[in-house]
Amino acid sequence: MKRAPLVMMGTVAGLAGVLSFNSTPAKLTLGSLASSSSGTSSAPSTTTTASSSPPPTTATSTVTTPPRTAPTTTTTSAPPVTTTTVSSSVRTAIGPSVDYNFGILSVQVKVTGSKITNVSIASINDGGNYRSVSIDQQAIPLLEQEVMQAQSGNIQSISGASYTSAGFIQSLQSALSKLGL
Amino acid sequence: MGTIVTIDVYRGDCSDDSPLEASLEAAIAILHDADVLFSTWKPESPISRIRRGELDVDEAPAIIREVLEQCGVARSLSGGWFDPWALPSGVDPTGLVKGWAAQRALAALRHDAIDGAIVNAAGDIASFGGPTADKKFRVGIINPANPRSLACIIESPGAVATSGSYERGQHLFDPRQGIFTASVASGTVVGPELGLADALATALVVGGTEVLDILERLDDFEGLVIESGGKLLTTTGFPIVS
Repeated sequence: MKRAPLVMMGTVAGLAGVLSFNSTPAKLTLGSLASSSSGTSSAPSTTTTASSSPPPTTATSTVTTPPRTAPTTTTTSAPPVTTTTVSSSVRTAIGPSVDYNFGILSVQVKVTGSKITNVSIASINDGGNYRSVSIDQQAIPLLEQEVMQAQSGNIQSISGASYTSAGFIQSLQSALSKLGL
Repeated sequence: MGTIVTIDVYRGDCSDDSPLEASLEAAIAILHDADVLFSTWKPESPISRIRRGELDVDEAPAIIREVLEQCGVARSLSGGWFDPWALPSGVDPTGLVKGWAAQRALAALRHDAIDGAIVNAAGDIASFGGPTADKKFRVGIINPANPRSLACIIESPGAVATSGSYERGQHLFDPRQGIFTASVASGTVVGPELGLADALATALVVGGTEVLDILERLDDFEGLVIESGGKLLTTTGFPIVS
């Protein structure tokens, strides 16, 4: 997973807004978009929109969920994207606990300079419900991976069976904001 | 639809955000509209009313007829392995509509200032362009045995859909046997349009190598099957890059 030296995608910039997928029209709030210092790469801006409704309770679905708190619209400012940052010390922040589909979680992020070096779950309470646990075990690694992979610049997206966690992104954004990213 | 959708926009010109915001708002509105029309979870959605026999398909919104027609195309392309009419609970286009909606949302993002865009609807991806004007998007395919890792990396031809039994358990319906099943760990279909790719991926994970053979004979679509033992099987044109 080597990165071309001058092409660095800002995943932090990528997580620009969490929008409610509720019945009310979603208000779009874009974070300011980062541009690469190389001038040759464009930074992606990502908008995440999540349904406030549970997965369809059709015969094909094994997932039923309680109503959840709709994610609020949030904004994070884009990080300075630079390819010449001299590595500074690792800084760590933990985002707030966020109520998501299957419980409550918070996300921890480690940053060196403006680069995310680790994303993990700081706390999670899914009530021990079998379905919640089983979904979390699959969904959260995907989200952690998506953040890391997107930052690597080697791939731009990930395809896999469905995952759900607006809360993860919401807490991650707040953690990044604490670090000034 | 009960899923998370992420939209990535890549652009060369960073001078003005406003056209970008308008495009994003339009794309998001399309996803909302699809949720209202096609949610089988919402009892008052037109699709729920059709399923209960309260609304005739001919009197439904034109957009619903369009989706059901596409379902018919997918059923035919898949040799019957995708069949929304075979479900015991009534017609259910869910296997196609997520991809179809993402593809429609993507269309709203076409703009001179945008080099490329990705709409990722819970792991099913519609895209145009690339991260820069001369590159195509690369997409990682999740390894179903360990979702923290990738099974492979591919170059997207525009639509990439993956179905699997690893997150939601055995949730796929086999129209031939009339039972819920999955013959392989995951199935990925790439092609020019995400609605059909989504439906064909559903068929692929149910029908396994039989559907892979069907895809081999289609010009526009390619397929990848990951067996529960971890073995990768592809059609000859499947765009693996590493």
